[in-house]
Amino acid sequence: MKQRYHITPEGRAPLSDADIAKHRDVRKVIYNYQRAQHLLHRKPLYKDRRAFLALLLIVLLAVLLAEAGKKDEGPEPGKEQQAPAP
Amino acid sequence: MSISEQEEIARAQRDAQAFAPLYDRYFAPIFRFLHRRAGDQELTADLTQQTFLKAMLALPRYQPRGLPFQAWLYRIALNELRMHWRKRKETVVELSFLEVRGLGEEIGLQEADEDMQRLARALSALPEEKARLIELRFMDGLSFAEVGQVLDIGEDAAKMRTHRVLQGLREKLGPRT
Repeated sequence: MKQRYHITPEGRAPLSDADIAKHRDVRKVIYNYQRAQHLLHRKPLYKDRRAFLALLLIVLLAVLLAEAGKKDEGPEPGKEQQAPAP
Repeated sequence: MSISEQEEIARAQRDAQAFAPLYDRYFAPIFRFLHRRAGDQELTADLTQQTFLKAMLALPRYQPRGLPFQAWLYRIALNELRMHWRKRKETVVELSFLEVRGLGEEIGLQEADEDMQRLARALSALPEEKARLIELRFMDGLSFAEVGQVLDIGEDAAKMRTHRVLQGLREKLGPRT
């Protein structure tokens, strides 16, 4: 990345201590750190046995419900069995 | 680095809440360091928060080795800035005559508009790593040891490279008066 320099008598508007102080917030940085730590050390789903079994159960239920729904609807209209020719 | 600061760092390595004194001490220098390059206050505030967050996350691996903690923070801040600007082709750094006074004196330039414009053009023509050396040494006022730590080179290498860049600038901008 290229840097271009402008040199003027005053330069950029100077920062006052009050300008800096209004952005100072140590609680925010500690909170973000704790969140980051939590995310970094979170157990992946496949390693959490209970969460994995719960997810598996939900998927199985969804499959069973879908299958049951198909049976209730009966055969599709265009695919009715034709009577065999005499 | 003072013994009390070493103790503070060791405490912060064990307990995140103990990071507060370090944050309070270095917030303003890091904010100014980033603002000099980023310009915008809101962007600077975000980058400063990000710098301290990265510092806290990396703190357990930090080893003092007798070098200032501040230089380690400057290094993280520079990386944050680079990450933020990775898609930009060019950035503009605005400096005052006061900020380049030391550099101007080193090269032998007058604090006059014409000389300052020549200096700005010469600095703009420098490759990124050379410009970085000059910024850290003259605009941020870091020692060679600190410059070396920020750029991950030795103190002697920082000194030698800076002198070479200064020599190049002197040749380009005229002999020292």
